[in-house]
Amino acid sequence: MNNYPTDNPFIFNSEINAQHLAELYGDDYEYVEEVFTTVLNEYAALTDNVIACYTSQNIAALKSAVHKIKPIFGFVGLIKVQEQCQQFENACQTAGSFDVLINDFSLLKNSLIKSKTLIEDEKKKLGIYNTHRA
Amino acid sequence: MSLTCIIVEDLQVAANYLIKCCDKSGQVEVKGHFINVQDALSYLNENTVDLIFLDVEMPGANGFELLDQIAFSPKVILTTSKKDYAYNAFQYNVSDYLMKPFTYQRFIEALQKIKPSQETVSTNNGSDHIYIKADGKLIRLNNDAILYIESMGDYVKFVTNDNKKYITHNTIKNLEEKVSKQHFLKVHRSYIVNLHKIDDMRENMLFIKGNEIPVSKANKADVFKRLNII
Repeated sequence: MNNYPTDNPFIFNSEINAQHLAELYGDDYEYVEEVFTTVLNEYAALTDNVIACYTSQNIAALKSAVHKIKPIFGFVGLIKVQEQCQQFENACQTAGSFDVLINDFSLLKNSLIKSKTLIEDEKKKLGIYNTHRA
Repeated sequence: MSLTCIIVEDLQVAANYLIKCCDKSGQVEVKGHFINVQDALSYLNENTVDLIFLDVEMPGANGFELLDQIAFSPKVILTTSKKDYAYNAFQYNVSDYLMKPFTYQRFIEALQKIKPSQETVSTNNGSDHIYIKADGKLIRLNNDAILYIESMGDYVKFVTNDNKKYITHNTIKNLEEKVSKQHFLKVHRSYIVNLHKIDDMRENMLFIKGNEIPVSKANKADVFKRLNII
């Protein structure tokens, strides 16, 4: 059974801002799938860098690492995570000591983990949708 | 295709998206994509382009350091996810500033800003004067009267020896081709000076009637060649 009728637009997970993606990519879902694939290819290296910088307790490097990963969430419509990254960057900017970042980082790390799963699931769905659409 | 460009960007998804925007526009030919300043610099030492799409924060040197080291003045569009580079952007005569991820419409708006400047200066290299459009009229400036020309984003400022300042819509790159090469030399991406007006030079600064003019590394050798050093 075809769960993704070709006449209907792709339905993104509710965590993803579909309007934002439509503004970026229109209805080019093959390109959207390509974007999600590229993001996943970069994801491990970018998150590993964030974790490594946190482990080394280097606030400047951590800020830079979060800054670097931030835009990829915009490319996949995870606007809230992108904003969370920005807030964490701001927190790094004003942090007097590493300790004040611990709680925020815990939340951010959870978002990074959750987002990866979400992007992977969405990429799979897009692949199926595009296959049936072809 | 009317423009050539390179993309300097270490985030693959962002670079791919830019390439797609360039292709879709039909106005920009991507000559290369580089993930760090060093590789871009190696390319630009051998080639010129009209435009650079430039990320700022990259491993190793940042994007502005690339602009410090190249020997010509392409248009530059910053592609970044940080809002606080406005001061640097002005200093480096950046044409526009795209926040990642940007829409295709916003990309096209940025391209519109780098179309060649409207002709606002009339001269030829052999003439002893130029005309500029300023204050709603054509104003004649003798070459000998001009001390230097300074970039102000999409405008330039002519400073004359009677301490007058004339602002007109133009770019240093365009003027470099139009002003008398006997009199004038570009010494920095933001400055053209009248060689006959230089009072002295110290390190990387020229002094003209009390005005300090920076000399870029890329232009320093040309300055020495043109000065009558004995």
